[in-house]
Amino acid sequence: MKKLGLYIHIPFCKKKCVYCDFLSFECDDFLVQNKYVDAILNEVELKCREYAGYSVDTIFIGGGTPSILQEGQIERIIKKVRESFRMCENAEITIESNPGTLTREKLTEYRRVGINRLSVGVQSFDDELLKLIGRIHTVEDVRDSLREARNAGFDNINIDLMFSIPGHSKEKWHATLEKAVEMDPQHISFYSLQLEEGTPLFEAFKQGKFNPASDEEDREMYHYGINFLKEAGYQHYEISNAAKPQGECKHNMKYWSMQDYLGIGIGAHSFMRGIRFSNTSDIREYIAESGGCGYKTYTVNSIRDDAGEFMFTGLRKVEGIDLSEFEQRLGTSFFDFYAPEQDEINEYINNGFLELRGDKMRLTEKGIDISNDIMAVFV
Amino acid sequence: MNSYQKNIRNFSIIAHIDHGKSTLADRIIEKTGLVARRDMKAQFLDNMDLERERGITIKLQTTRLLYKAKDGQEYILNLIDTPGHVDFTYEVSRSLAACEGAILIVDATQGVEAQTLANVYLALDEDLEIRPVLNKIDLPSARPEEIKLEIEDVIGILADDAPLISAKEGVGIEDVLEDIVKNVPPPSGDVNGKLKALIFDSYYDSYKGVVVYVRVFDGSVKKGDMIRLMNAEKKYEVTEVGFYSPGPTTAKELRAGDVGYICASIKQAKDARVGDTVTNDANPTEEPLEGYKDPQSMVFCGIYPAEGEKYETIKDALEKLHVNDAAFNFEPETSTALGFGFRCGFLGLLHMEIIVERLEREFGLAVITTSPSVIYRVVMNDGSIQMIQNPTNLPDTIQTDHIEEPIVKADIMIPKEYVGAIMEICQERRGNMMHMEYLTETRVHLHYEMPLNEVIYDFFDALKSKTRGYGSLDYEFIRYQKSNVVKMDILLNKDLIDAFSMIVHESKAYGRGRFVCEKLKEIIPMQQFEIPIQASIGQKVIARETVRALRKDVIAKCYGGDISRKKKLLEKQKEGKKRMRQFGSVEVPQEAFTAVLKYDDNK
Repeated sequence: MKKLGLYIHIPFCKKKCVYCDFLSFECDDFLVQNKYVDAILNEVELKCREYAGYSVDTIFIGGGTPSILQEGQIERIIKKVRESFRMCENAEITIESNPGTLTREKLTEYRRVGINRLSVGVQSFDDELLKLIGRIHTVEDVRDSLREARNAGFDNINIDLMFSIPGHSKEKWHATLEKAVEMDPQHISFYSLQLEEGTPLFEAFKQGKFNPASDEEDREMYHYGINFLKEAGYQHYEISNAAKPQGECKHNMKYWSMQDYLGIGIGAHSFMRGIRFSNTSDIREYIAESGGCGYKTYTVNSIRDDAGEFMFTGLRKVEGIDLSEFEQRLGTSFFDFYAPEQDEINEYINNGFLELRGDKMRLTEKGIDISNDIMAVFV
Repeated sequence: MNSYQKNIRNFSIIAHIDHGKSTLADRIIEKTGLVARRDMKAQFLDNMDLERERGITIKLQTTRLLYKAKDGQEYILNLIDTPGHVDFTYEVSRSLAACEGAILIVDATQGVEAQTLANVYLALDEDLEIRPVLNKIDLPSARPEEIKLEIEDVIGILADDAPLISAKEGVGIEDVLEDIVKNVPPPSGDVNGKLKALIFDSYYDSYKGVVVYVRVFDGSVKKGDMIRLMNAEKKYEVTEVGFYSPGPTTAKELRAGDVGYICASIKQAKDARVGDTVTNDANPTEEPLEGYKDPQSMVFCGIYPAEGEKYETIKDALEKLHVNDAAFNFEPETSTALGFGFRCGFLGLLHMEIIVERLEREFGLAVITTSPSVIYRVVMNDGSIQMIQNPTNLPDTIQTDHIEEPIVKADIMIPKEYVGAIMEICQERRGNMMHMEYLTETRVHLHYEMPLNEVIYDFFDALKSKTRGYGSLDYEFIRYQKSNVVKMDILLNKDLIDAFSMIVHESKAYGRGRFVCEKLKEIIPMQQFEIPIQASIGQKVIARETVRALRKDVIAKCYGGDISRKKKLLEKQKEGKKRMRQFGSVEVPQEAFTAVLKYDDNK
């Protein structure tokens, strides 16, 4: 039976972080949240009919801050999914959370309904930096949440970390990494802070209120992070992700391997049967239509699309892509398909940015630094 | 004089750019009822879109108008419009040679400008009756009485009874027409004599071949006649004669004193050049008309297909333009950096810009143009002489005795408050002031001798920018002069990029070298490795910049399976790569070629 990953978007936050440009907004109103969850349940029911031939092997509840929802809401969602879709026995079920919103009761609820992976938005183990980027929690909150999570029975935990925060030094980054590893999570994501237009942080930057990390500093912290985590027993498996053996996030790997995934909730993106589509970003419309809005975007991939996406998503994985898989999916050999780009590709290889070993092509660590430049060749 | 000639008036309108020549022409056409006002696009005579957009007339148009004057008689007015730019002086002079009179428009707010004077001199050379007209009197800043005095002082013609008009508002147009009828002499010439006609313009029609505009001085010409073009030494059978009024109207014949067109299945514009004399092959006139000149290209540049454009398409387009415009010529050349392309010659910088713009607009082509150059006269050690216009071909200094560069006489008119600033930019461009005169209390005429290569580089932009648009310029070639010019090369990642090479004066080389390196540094994006940019003369590096290696270009997070944003970004990046030109290992955006030529006010 075909497998699919289910993504469910919860767009609410207690407070929006200054750097965030995701589809989320500050909303503590239980009534709104309840209506939104109602719409989600309805969308699940509508969509499951279309994909009756699939079984779900991963669920990822992301946000926003899913853990902001009051007790009982997550249970309603998971129950509905189980009623509607065929579930694989060992499905990976992840929920994202913010340490400032987690309680013992919520954690117990998550475990009870079968959530087996907890992702915690820690970002930093430095209170000053947390305050600077507008996080609602302290380092103390992080430790409490992680302890409670362990107590509730979570053994598969991810910690999100961020570097190149304004004022970040290598020392502070080292300290954060050290403390993160002490917590012994299965999985660590480490992102470079991105200045996105329209965010308060970007405005502050434009007004010259701070100097962002230079490209050199940023890359130094990045590579330092990789080495640190490797020495601590983690495997670097995707540009921004590292995990203990077998600890990779199965759901996220679907994104990088062109496997089927179905998005539920506002702004959610899907890739099913070679078609990319997305939901409305308008929560009012979504609630009014009870999750039954039409697609906001709907693209039937061409061969060129497929090839480009296979390459640029696949190259995010440290193991890279399989040329035989390319040929199997596209029906043309990699070298024929990219014959016009051959010189460019060879140059990246000769300069040590790309690596071709037997059937595998991957970015080197140096190549990751300029990955957009390289990936652009393939689209 | 033959009796029919009494009621013909052949005239041109001359003016400085922007003084309202085309607008007046429009009003005259409207007044004589040729084109209903509602059918008129603004500036009827400028029929190329490009001209209308820039507000300048490049290619002249000729129109025959009928006007019933106050004396009750009907007159044929042949309006011969002239191109309004210094690049086209020769064409202007031939148009004027076809007339008996010229309307001199002077802007009543600005007064006499450099091109006003230049045009007046051309008209005086042809012995024309010059009729001053003051335009833009509707503007509050108009100073008609002052400007009249200025015309009398500076030009030396009476302006007391000059019509005061506003071509824009249609005021005083009839006064102009009456003035023409009364004061421009009718043509003379022997209708029974041997055919002698002057070609003053031509254009290409895909059905009729080249259509030539002529002024008949003696004799007559009709369909079926065998004509001879005396300078080209070619013979053709006339297939059609007629007038433009304003569309083509076939006529039985063109007689002495007439202005009209001749079609004779002429294939190329270069076979029927402006200034040539048309005569009857069976009964030819002894002497051709005076004043014929082969058009001389003054400015040259390379034109190359941009990425994704084909050599052959560019060639076809250049051929079509050449058929239309004998003053533009081209030949194939090869650049190691840009591949196969063309070396093109132009009358001047505007002419070059127009041709390039027509390639882009009319033909939809993407082209790369290299730095414009002039022709250098290279005297070799053995005394032989080479004329070089492509920097790449400049012989090694060991083989040359010396190099000479073209010098022009530049006439500059400016309001007096800008004298200091303009003298400075002339000085910077190796100008030599011959003299300076006050035309009026506020206007100054500067006479300079300047190397043409400085004029074509950015002088006009600099002049306009320093005088807030009030400065005007006219120039003409005077002589070759020994000069310390050198070839400056640009190296990217140690590779010489021939398309960037230029010939500059030794004293300017350091400044230009630095400028080009800095510009390229701004424009060339960071790449996989560090790229040194160097300017050199021979082996000696005179300026250097470095494009740092690309250190970071990565998206940390793609959230929730939304890869569309990232894909868009990558596609944009790919597009950017496509617009780049690969030089050895370095990718250079195409705009680099034009950017290094731009005048920079801050430098």
